[in-house]
Amino acid sequence: MLILSDFRLHRPASLADALLLRAELGDEGAVYAGGTELLLALKMGVLEYEHLIDIKRCPELRGVQQVDGTVRIGAATTHRDLETSPLLARLLPALAELERHVANIRVRAAGTIGGNLAFAEPHADPPAMLTALDARVELAGPAGVRELPVEDFVLGAYETALGDDELVTAVVVPVPPAGVRATYRKLATLERPTVGVAVMGEVAGDTFATAPAVVVGAVDERPLRVDATPLAGASVRDRDALEAVVEAARDLVDPVDDLSGSADYKRHLTGVVTRRALEHIVDPGSPS
Amino acid sequence: MPDELKVVGHSVPRVDGPAKVTGRAPYALDLTVPGMVHGIAVRSERAHARIVSIDVEAAEAAPEVLAVVTAASVAPLDVRFGHVARDHPALACDRVMYHGEPVALVVARTPRAAARAARLVRVHYDELDAVIDAETALQDDAPLLHPDRVAPLGDAGLDAGAADLTGNLCAESTVGWGDVDTAMAAADLVVEGEYRYPMLYGYAMEPYNAIASFEEGTLVVHSTAQHPYMVREDLARMFGLPLARVRVVVPYVGGGYGTKSYTKVEPLAALGAWVTGHPVRVALSVEEAMLTTRSDGAHIRARSGFAADGTLLAREFDVVMDSGAYTDNSPVVCAKLANRCFGPYRVPAVRVRVRSVFTNTVPASSLRGFGAPQGALAGELQMDEAAQRLSIDPVDLRLRNVVAPGEEILPRKRGIDADLAEDLRMLTGSLGWGGPSAPGTGIGFGLTASDAGAHPTSVAMVRLHADGSASAAVGATELGQGSRTVLSQIVAECLGLPFDRVAILAADTGATPYERTTGASRTTTLVGRSLQAACADVRRRVREVAAEVAGVDASAVVDLPAGVSVGGERWDYAEVLSRWFGAGGELVGVGEVRRAGEFQAMPPFWEVGASGVVVDVDAETGVVSVLQLTTVGDVGIAINPVLVHGQDLGAATMGLGAALSEALVYDGEALANPNVVDYRVPRSSDVPDRLELLLVERRDGIGPFGAKGSGEGALNPIGSAVAAAVGRAIGVFPHELPLTPERVWRLAQERVGDVRT
Amino acid sequence: MSDTTTTAVTGRINGREQTLQIDNADLLLDVLRDLGLRGAKPSCEMEVCGACTVQLDGLPVSACTTLAAEIDGRDVETIEHLDADGTLHPVQEAFLRHSALQCGFCTPGMVMTAKALLEQDPDPSREDVVHWLEGSICRCTGYATIIDAVLDAAEVMRRAR
Ligand code: FES
Ligand code: FES
Repeated sequence: MLILSDFRLHRPASLADALLLRAELGDEGAVYAGGTELLLALKMGVLEYEHLIDIKRCPELRGVQQVDGTVRIGAATTHRDLETSPLLARLLPALAELERHVANIRVRAAGTIGGNLAFAEPHADPPAMLTALDARVELAGPAGVRELPVEDFVLGAYETALGDDELVTAVVVPVPPAGVRATYRKLATLERPTVGVAVMGEVAGDTFATAPAVVVGAVDERPLRVDATPLAGASVRDRDALEAVVEAARDLVDPVDDLSGSADYKRHLTGVVTRRALEHIVDPGSPS
Repeated sequence: MPDELKVVGHSVPRVDGPAKVTGRAPYALDLTVPGMVHGIAVRSERAHARIVSIDVEAAEAAPEVLAVVTAASVAPLDVRFGHVARDHPALACDRVMYHGEPVALVVARTPRAAARAARLVRVHYDELDAVIDAETALQDDAPLLHPDRVAPLGDAGLDAGAADLTGNLCAESTVGWGDVDTAMAAADLVVEGEYRYPMLYGYAMEPYNAIASFEEGTLVVHSTAQHPYMVREDLARMFGLPLARVRVVVPYVGGGYGTKSYTKVEPLAALGAWVTGHPVRVALSVEEAMLTTRSDGAHIRARSGFAADGTLLAREFDVVMDSGAYTDNSPVVCAKLANRCFGPYRVPAVRVRVRSVFTNTVPASSLRGFGAPQGALAGELQMDEAAQRLSIDPVDLRLRNVVAPGEEILPRKRGIDADLAEDLRMLTGSLGWGGPSAPGTGIGFGLTASDAGAHPTSVAMVRLHADGSASAAVGATELGQGSRTVLSQIVAECLGLPFDRVAILAADTGATPYERTTGASRTTTLVGRSLQAACADVRRRVREVAAEVAGVDASAVVDLPAGVSVGGERWDYAEVLSRWFGAGGELVGVGEVRRAGEFQAMPPFWEVGASGVVVDVDAETGVVSVLQLTTVGDVGIAINPVLVHGQDLGAATMGLGAALSEALVYDGEALANPNVVDYRVPRSSDVPDRLELLLVERRDGIGPFGAKGSGEGALNPIGSAVAAAVGRAIGVFPHELPLTPERVWRLAQERVGDVRT
Repeated sequence: MSDTTTTAVTGRINGREQTLQIDNADLLLDVLRDLGLRGAKPSCEMEVCGACTVQLDGLPVSACTTLAAEIDGRDVETIEHLDADGTLHPVQEAFLRHSALQCGFCTPGMVMTAKALLEQDPDPSREDVVHWLEGSICRCTGYATIIDAVLDAAEVMRRAR
């Protein structure tokens, strides 16, 4: 039977109170943002905390806003809020589409974007996309507010740059300029993504103006950026350029054998999904 | 539908529907008993070890804990159970035999207190060599898992194989006739191969649970048991009680599919109650359920010899089943696999050996299909491989060999009560076989025949009440298959009552009469027949008393719907009862089915399967999508067509799970995926867009109104059909399930453009 | 700041405001079942099966992996509320019409999930229904009747509007 150990539950009503609690409790307290990952880990006894700080009741941490050429997503915004946000659909449609396919509806209704990033489960969808979109994580702590690119925030499996006295307060995503598109393609052999590839690039016709951002998620412990320079100025139908990037993606990843597939297979899939993502961004009708 | 039938043959709504859509239907898990406390098992962290000591003091001292029960603490009770061989201890005695086996039961006032205290129990082990793989367990130098073999109970109703069992053999079954070697030597083509069917977890969504209490000397158990009478026997033996003093009650059950056959957690709850004097609930998590029962995995070596025209000359199967730590039901599965693997074909020479092998893994027992899906994977795929190599259409190849109605498949068994050739034509017609096919797609199909019905012992009781309504008491359990609905229809039809004037009592060994099991599709057929007999009996009583009241000869009283005619005058049931009793009263009829007369020949009926799929394979990723599913439900008569459709689609979907994603995986000595996150069952998106659930009603079964079974047949050929379809899509026939994307991708890589053997 | 391992919460359960002293380690599913609301069932306990689904502020959640304290200031609806006025919800009616259940263990969760969908999107496509039900396992039916029932309920509800 899965049971939780006893803990104290703190429910600060403001960000300021939440930060005070963080500073006071340090590593004895876990941030409870949606619970979809944390509660599972607590139930299985993988993690144990004396204190849980529920940040969902801090109004500062919720909502999606357009701020100076960026979309600012409060850390406690749920996947479902993102999936249905008209603002996101307009400004970051690829992220909205990704959110529609995160886990299942119950997880989307409870789980939050900040929780997702801070938990740093490697087999997750948003980190790769946010990396490709050059998103930044906003962190608040006793020393004030700082921002880190998502790729510098996620350090490894369940490991981030978040300090014990800090909170993720928002994810800030630059709105891509006109002509720049993004897409995310994934393949899941079990419950979670086995391979997910995010691409952002400026496309005219079937040609990439510059090298697209290509990020492989869910394979390694953290999202990895693929060198896509061969596609700079090249058409997606330029087989050599395309295969060079696919090959680079395959070479980049360092998968492990597990229940979702062998390392060989995942490396192969990384190539396939990378190719399909690149084709998809040019031709949204291509097979996924 | 012939119009003489008023209720049978119609899709009346399920009687349990309203209770289930409102969430009010009680399952064992929803019941509470005053004073109830909770038991949680401490489970082995070794696959094979001697128990040196169990340190329970800290747990016993923990808050709200009432007792920590171990096999030693309940001595002299013998905690072993089993319906074939009594070798399965409810709590490990001196040895643990698999990772996850219950070693102690912590009983506390709340589940949480029990779970927390369970973490405080320390078991000291002296590790022994473990064997996880069945082939290894068969080797001479393998550790011997059951050095002190427990003699089988010899239950005559079980087809449990025989032979002298040595080493780690749990059971062995052989079937054979003809001269296989000569026939193979003379064959124009011998197809030979090895096939692997995974071990599966049935995932009935309600995990095993039970509440046990001792009330005035009677052990009362509410549980998820599919076969409460079998559980009663185990408990009676364990506690030295007469059958009359063990009452097993089964409310609604959240899925069975065979996984809840036989005894599971009932002894644990009963031992807890025996020690503490309180009613004890033991409710397993899904993870624990996965550590309780699984199905037998099978490694099959098969050879089939054909003449150039496609005529089957001989078949040979050598099967090793991985049966886990204890005997449980594996010998029966072993015998069934032996009977089912060579298919519904006319084969002049057959040699089958199936060995069920003990390993240090979760014990295997029943699961829907019962050896048939395992056997069909080899048997049916070899038909497809032969067809390809002989350049014969696989439909024609099967038609050439399939048995005709009435023809024997197994010597001295009942001849086949189905027209499989016709079923196959319907099936392949629906699948568009022979037509054009899109690149990357493939069609696969198969036939199976299962000796179903199990041992035909069934007793039923019908009570006709003073207002003319009727209730029936049968020991069959409602697992979702709709038995209460179908059995109500049968009673309503026989007594001429409207459907809503009939009720069926939930299985309760203290109140409902004996029912051997609920499985092998025997409820509609055999329970239906005993109910028909009970209805006839109560009708006879009605005529008898009406005649006596009217002072006429019984022959002057004639049955009418819901009443009788007495010398031309209609008396409805209520009137007969009121004239007979004056006030109140009821008439009781009893019916039996036993292995005699028309039920002498085994099996009571054949459950045939004819199912197929169209798949699309993404060869680059290996992802298989099922585009179409067709099942042919050759059920004799569909007493409730909508319910039969539900059984067929549900069963086939379970088959798709085994074909494409389900497999229990061992990583070293422990299960690597004991949860439904990593053990993937079919989801809504896996439902094929095109579904054709065909029904064939030839009224050729032994059940009521010509019914046969349903609920397994649609599943049995699915694994082989999916493998064949994928094989046709990628150019090489897979021999191992499940066809995970990676496995398909690898096969597509290996593709040699020819049949791999 | 809390000093104990319990929390006082006030939330609406099936339309009725209730104040409860909740053990922090209690999961919503356990508390609801202890209150006698046993329609939601435990099965996977890991957010993948949906048997425990209830609606929290209108959206479906896994009660098996939601802290009971979450109900503070919020609205919980369970299957028991659907026919509180004596008539079945159109989703329940449709499940009966389509015989979209067998053992019924998944049914309360399926019904609550479907109801939430139709509240969010009164006119879903078949694909939308399949997508929404992706996280709800039924081991008995093979799903087709459930999907049909949800689409049928949607139509009935649209016409009633
Ligand atoms: S029990 Fe909660 S999702 Fe399965
Ligand atoms: S009806 Fe049994 S699990 Fe859905």
